[in-house]
Amino acid sequence: MNKRTCTALATVVVAALALGTAGCSAQKSRSGGHGPAGAGAGAVIGGTPQRGGTLTVLSGQDFTHLDPARNWVMSDMDFGTRLLYRTLVTYQAGPGAEGGRLVPDLATDLGTPANGARTWTFHLKEGVKYEDGTPVTAQDIKYNVERSFSPDLPGGADYAARYLAGAEGYQGPAQGKHLDSIKTPDDHTIVFELRKPFAEFPNATVMPTFAPVPKSQDKGPRYDNRPFSSGPYRIESYARGKKLVLVRNEHWDAKTDQVRKAYPDKLVVLMGLKPNEIDDRMIAAQGADASAVPWYALRPESAAKVLPKAEVRGRMLSESTNCTDMVQMHTGRAPFDQVKVRQAVQYALDRDTILTASGGPAFNDLSTAYMPATLFGGKQPDTLKIPAGGDVAKAKELLKEAGKPDGFSTRMTVSVGDKGRAEAIQESLAKAGIKVTIETVDPSAFYATIGDTKNRTDMVYTGWCPDYPSGSTFLPFVFDGRYIKEKGNSGNHSLFRDQAVMKRMDEIAAMTDAKQANAAWQELDGQILAKAPAVPVLVRRWPLVLGTNIAGAYGQTSFGGQLDYASVGLKDPSKARD
Amino acid sequence: MILYIGRRLLGVIGVLIAIAAVTFTIFYVLPSDPAAAACGKSCSAERLAAIRAHMGLDQPLWRQFGDFVTGIFTGRTMGSGQYTLHCHFPCLGYSYDNSEPVWNLLMDRLPVSASLALGAAVLWLLLGLTAGVVAALRKDTLTDRVLMVGAVAAASLPVYFTSMMLIYGLIRTAGLLPYPEYVALSRDPLHWASNLLLPWTALAILYAAMYARQSRSSMIETMAEPYIRTARAKGLPRRTVVVKHGLRAGMTPILTIFGMDLGGLLAGAVITESIFGLPGIGRLFYGALAGGDQPVIMGVTLLAAAFIVIANLVVDLLYAVIDPRVRY
Amino acid sequence: MSVHQPALAAATVGASPWRLARRELGRRASVRLSLVVVALFAVMAAGAPLLTRLSGWGPDEFDKSAVDPYLGGQPVGPLGGISAEHWLGVEPVTGRDLFARTVHGAQVSLLIALTATAMVVIAGTAAGIAAGYFGGRVDAVLSRLMDLTMSFPSLIFMIAMMSVAKDVNRILLMTAVIGLFGWPGVARIVRGQTLSLKHREYVDAARVGGSGPWRILTRDILPGVSGPVIAYTTLVIPGMIATEAALSYLGVGVRPPTPSWGQMIAESVSFYDTDPMYFVIPSSCLFLTVLAFTLLGDALRDVLDPRSGRQ
Repeated sequence: MNKRTCTALATVVVAALALGTAGCSAQKSRSGGHGPAGAGAGAVIGGTPQRGGTLTVLSGQDFTHLDPARNWVMSDMDFGTRLLYRTLVTYQAGPGAEGGRLVPDLATDLGTPANGARTWTFHLKEGVKYEDGTPVTAQDIKYNVERSFSPDLPGGADYAARYLAGAEGYQGPAQGKHLDSIKTPDDHTIVFELRKPFAEFPNATVMPTFAPVPKSQDKGPRYDNRPFSSGPYRIESYARGKKLVLVRNEHWDAKTDQVRKAYPDKLVVLMGLKPNEIDDRMIAAQGADASAVPWYALRPESAAKVLPKAEVRGRMLSESTNCTDMVQMHTGRAPFDQVKVRQAVQYALDRDTILTASGGPAFNDLSTAYMPATLFGGKQPDTLKIPAGGDVAKAKELLKEAGKPDGFSTRMTVSVGDKGRAEAIQESLAKAGIKVTIETVDPSAFYATIGDTKNRTDMVYTGWCPDYPSGSTFLPFVFDGRYIKEKGNSGNHSLFRDQAVMKRMDEIAAMTDAKQANAAWQELDGQILAKAPAVPVLVRRWPLVLGTNIAGAYGQTSFGGQLDYASVGLKDPSKARD
Repeated sequence: MILYIGRRLLGVIGVLIAIAAVTFTIFYVLPSDPAAAACGKSCSAERLAAIRAHMGLDQPLWRQFGDFVTGIFTGRTMGSGQYTLHCHFPCLGYSYDNSEPVWNLLMDRLPVSASLALGAAVLWLLLGLTAGVVAALRKDTLTDRVLMVGAVAAASLPVYFTSMMLIYGLIRTAGLLPYPEYVALSRDPLHWASNLLLPWTALAILYAAMYARQSRSSMIETMAEPYIRTARAKGLPRRTVVVKHGLRAGMTPILTIFGMDLGGLLAGAVITESIFGLPGIGRLFYGALAGGDQPVIMGVTLLAAAFIVIANLVVDLLYAVIDPRVRY
Repeated sequence: MSVHQPALAAATVGASPWRLARRELGRRASVRLSLVVVALFAVMAAGAPLLTRLSGWGPDEFDKSAVDPYLGGQPVGPLGGISAEHWLGVEPVTGRDLFARTVHGAQVSLLIALTATAMVVIAGTAAGIAAGYFGGRVDAVLSRLMDLTMSFPSLIFMIAMMSVAKDVNRILLMTAVIGLFGWPGVARIVRGQTLSLKHREYVDAARVGGSGPWRILTRDILPGVSGPVIAYTTLVIPGMIATEAALSYLGVGVRPPTPSWGQMIAESVSFYDTDPMYFVIPSSCLFLTVLAFTLLGDALRDVLDPRSGRQ
């Protein structure tokens, strides 16, 4: 067995067993035993926390937005909805699959559909208060949904815009204009009128768009710097890019809240730290850092400092982000309009190398299907059976059949953070004769750049995460040709337009039996894969090394594997008071 | 003298407006779209247009620039609909990312960058001048040679290399210092200094060499002047001769370099701040670049230019103080 | 009238200091060492493709067998994977050959620095001579332009320009951007020198002799300013190399997979404690080159332009 296949095999084994011991002696003898890399899916670190103390969060950057109307980044949504504001419905606080379960939050239940799932009614709990003691009302939720339409407050989730009746052209509550499709018959009832049936509407009401904002507190764009709390903590101080301090909201009542445990007395987020400094501090966990958690995932570069140490590994969470990284090809343009050329890319890609560039099997799982494993009940199928290291000969053969025996040149846009992965793609495609030029773009400009379908490059490297565990939040977004927009295109970056696929999507969307729909999505995933509009590459994990004094910590599957801030706390609060 | 200062100040404003115009044109002509960046991952064409209008990006370039410049002197009101934002004098616009007036952000970060620059400046002056004077007094000895080659070698080290070595040696391995976390001078002077010690050292190592070399050659030259010989012949102590006569006469070129260096650093040492995680203007700038936050990029560029121009002005005025021969 | 006279004068003014300079320089150990280092890196840069053919690995070739995916891609073997196959070890994660990347990085770094220097020197000399010789309005305009350029916060401006510009040749752009801010330094020196040469007898003689301004500039003034310009040029180069490295370090430099020293250092900073060799190799290359050019420039200045250091 040569080294190459050994690595490949070990990788597959690890991916399949979700961190089982890699059965490869050559690997082991070379660099010691590599057992499970930290606590994987479903693990809780540190037992049950004690109430009190200060939890410190070490972060490289500021939040994108904490204003609930604008907050649409997985980790930020976790932080905002778990600590600062409550939404109509939210995710259960629990490890593994439990974290995907919906539970009522501000609402008394998961909503009542009527009119063929076109009308949804929610009733609000009594006794929920803001940080100043005033009660949360249905009108405040309506107000925040409305303000998410304002061009002054861009960035938020667009479910409201996509589904609410009469939302076209609406520009927010300026000059007293309101949405008639949201009705508030009394302070504790809110009714949404949708323009098409949407059976999964409660899933959308988890978004911070459906958190309350009282009109009197709204300061427009500056609300981002001081959201008004309806959750267990309120903002004591917030110096943008430097430090955020949260203290208890005395008016929050634990009896109205079955999700948030609110163990620490105080949370301090230190921002602007160097990523490698954060990694080093978390690995060392000395002094005050024992009661700290990192905000961002461990960098692959630090893996060598974590993996050989059992003690550190034992403090590491590594939940899947549930997002599939893909190489998407512009199916509307030569040469990628030929399916053979796209298949050649499928075969040429050396996913092993990309995996290594991404931190190795401890931090990622290879992907053999588009939808992440959670949408397949835990494990992705491998319908194409392409070796993880690629098959250059087969790729060349496909290129020859496509009339491109000498390969071709193309360009690929990637976000700055994906540069390493992109270089691995570049290198492996070069072996099959496909010369790729990499265009790196800042994360902030990335979606705008690849969303410009006219001027973008033929290849893009991007991922998709289902908003909630249903195939309907994955395949239609990524492969439905009717969602393609000339500018601001999102999701379907292969510009894939296939009549059969779209017809099937409509059929599945109309299914009322969730199980049947699920199976149908899974089957469709394989059918699209055979047409190769995109190559699934890997699913990243979200590795977090926690301080030694941290308890109740697990990765929340619905928030991309980020630490669940609803339940994290300290083992011994007396060690972390300031 | 007053007339001269007035004329120079007018010049300063002219230079700053010219720099603003150049920066403005470059950033608004080059293909980058802050509206699209703000709009997020799913953005319809109508929404994009609305956001662009709100940001004022639908106006012609000259108009945007005009508004910007007037805003600096008179303040301006921005935004649309119910969310009007007042941006007071001196208005450099509103940051898209931070939802704060750029001026406030700059003033918030300035103490950090200024602490870094001034502390480092004191350190490098001390190191550089001492090394230079010692080398000059022991001209052509081994001490001279070692000092000078050492200075050049230290200056040739990339600042990120020195910084990483300092972090590794003093923080990671020896545990002598904490990871730098900026503490305001007014809050705790001791912590302020201990947290900034490493960044100061890293910068001082880079800059000191220049001063060592400059002061050495100035000293050698002035010590050979007749008036120094006279002073010595009068029986003045060596120390007085060196410091009062020798150094002072050699100050002019050093002051010129110093003005340029300090002016350039006050508005943020991008690399040093990012390596040590100091929340100064350099980091603000770097973050704004990644976020496409054009008003902040503009603001930092202008502030930095202002510091350079003003430093030059101050240096020119100081010539008159140091060197009695200079008159305006 | 003899047309040869000024040329002859210039030649004698030029020739003997040159010979003197060479003798003076040859005496210094630092100069000899610096020359060796500069020559070494120059050969490395120029012969990069040849050298990598010799070592067997290209700068962009991944070597999966040289890194351990289970350790976050650490190189296999001691000292960052230094072996007979990989002379300077490999890059972690990708397994790319460090020797190949270092020599190709030298090529990119030196190419950018030298081209930018050439730009700066040519533009600066032209502007300086024009301002000094013609004086009056030309001088006023050029001097204002110099002041304006020097007031630009150059590094901040360069970073900003590099980060917004897309779809262009990065190496060309970087050269242009770095060169843009350097010329006033040369121009000022040349202007001062020109002013002092303008009314020397031999220049006056040439003027009386009916030489046109172009002829006087190229024949009489240019040789006169060349000494300080050469010294200054050598001192500009290390600054250019450092600037290129700083820009690449900040992630706005060359496009992947092109290596440059700054880019290599930037990537290797993350590994400075797990794979120190990876960090040390490009850093020492950068250090040595900058040091060698600075020492060389210092010596040249002392010899060719004895007054400039102490005005």
